[in-house]
Amino acid sequence: MLKRLIACVAVFSSVSLPAFAQEDDSWLETYNRNMFDFNMTVDKYVMKPVAKGYRAVTTQSVRNRITSAIDNTEEPATAINHLLQLQPKKNIKSIGRFLINTTLGLGGMFDVASGWGLTKEPTGFDETLAKYCVPDGPFVVVPLLGLYTPRDFTGYIADGFANPVYWGAINDKNYSAKISYGFAAVKAINSRERSLDLIDDLQKSSVDFYSTARSAYLQNRQKLNGLCGSASSAPSYDFDFDEEDY
Amino acid sequence: MNKYIAFIFSALFLFSQNAKAEVDATAAENFVKETTQKGIVEIINSNASQAERNARFEKLFNSALDLKFIGQFVLGRNWKTASAEQREKFIDIYRKLNVKTWSKRFDEFKGKEFIFKGTSPSSSANQIFVNSIVPMENAQPASVVWRVKEIDGKFKIVDIIIENVSLAITARNEYTAFIKKSPDGLNGLIADLEKKVAQE
Repeated sequence: MLKRLIACVAVFSSVSLPAFAQEDDSWLETYNRNMFDFNMTVDKYVMKPVAKGYRAVTTQSVRNRITSAIDNTEEPATAINHLLQLQPKKNIKSIGRFLINTTLGLGGMFDVASGWGLTKEPTGFDETLAKYCVPDGPFVVVPLLGLYTPRDFTGYIADGFANPVYWGAINDKNYSAKISYGFAAVKAINSRERSLDLIDDLQKSSVDFYSTARSAYLQNRQKLNGLCGSASSAPSYDFDFDEEDY
Repeated sequence: MNKYIAFIFSALFLFSQNAKAEVDATAAENFVKETTQKGIVEIINSNASQAERNARFEKLFNSALDLKFIGQFVLGRNWKTASAEQREKFIDIYRKLNVKTWSKRFDEFKGKEFIFKGTSPSSSANQIFVNSIVPMENAQPASVVWRVKEIDGKFKIVDIIIENVSLAITARNEYTAFIKKSPDGLNGLIADLEKKVAQE
């Protein structure tokens, strides 16, 4: 199953290059810029006002508890991915974190496990694929969902299947409508609230916000691309920065 | 014979690595520590007025960062073709934009601390990376790496890499894309940056 998924992603991904340095293909850049503008318009009229409203009616402490509970639902995916990455100790740690935080941590609202030395070690299917040297592929803006590469998007979908909140939706359509959509909405709003100030600041100081977002996203992903055995161990930001170049 | 050649190349490689690793790592790390400490004590935790704190931030920013060097990198190949006047205008407006952006964001570090984690070598001459992390509430610690250049025995910060995202590379990609699209090229970029600085 894993091999088939890896092969599937590899087919849809182009050969991996230092992506933040390369230009998009012209048609892809045209599509990406248009979709980015569409997403930003939706954000301006829907997501941002809702996230601001959410901030207005909740305290930081309440939002921290909600973030913690959402993170806890991602712990099973973390555990599975540690196992796929042949990290049995981390797998057991993740399972322990999930059991402790779900029960003693009141549904994950409190990270009791960290206090006991079981600190969070996040990972995902994207990282698993990176460790198996699956190329990242081109940068693509996905409608309503944001910035992705094929490998990142595959990881996002695969990790979603491992989230226990969505398990009920497999057998019960009513559950699907009521619980899983509600959870997805809360997750999206909570995530947007956390980036309100950062995105506002970036937009204010940027002359080409698409390029800024693309560059930052792809640079951040270089740490994953460095996980493949043959990749250079030098950090991606150690570019040639000598005065003689100018 | 092959082994002999391999040895010569290895020796040359090691020599060139050592020649580049001539920056005093401890001194570079201390420079960044002192700079961040100064920012926390004199600006973030100070009771001075906002105007006074902004002035202090600008002074610290100008003394700790080599904005001319960063500006050259950020413009990339456009620096070579720019006139002396364009270069001067760009560096000036780029400095103003950064001071404006970061003086606002600086207060977000209130109550936070930088934990320094040693240094890493750079492939560029006279440069070194100083590694640090910032513990975050409800999240993994954020990684902040400072690229430091030694110039005539003095240190200057030439890039800050937050969570693997280099501010210099991001600005370079953004400005290169803008200049490519803009009918006014570099002058268009300077005019747009001036608007950004003038905005409240």
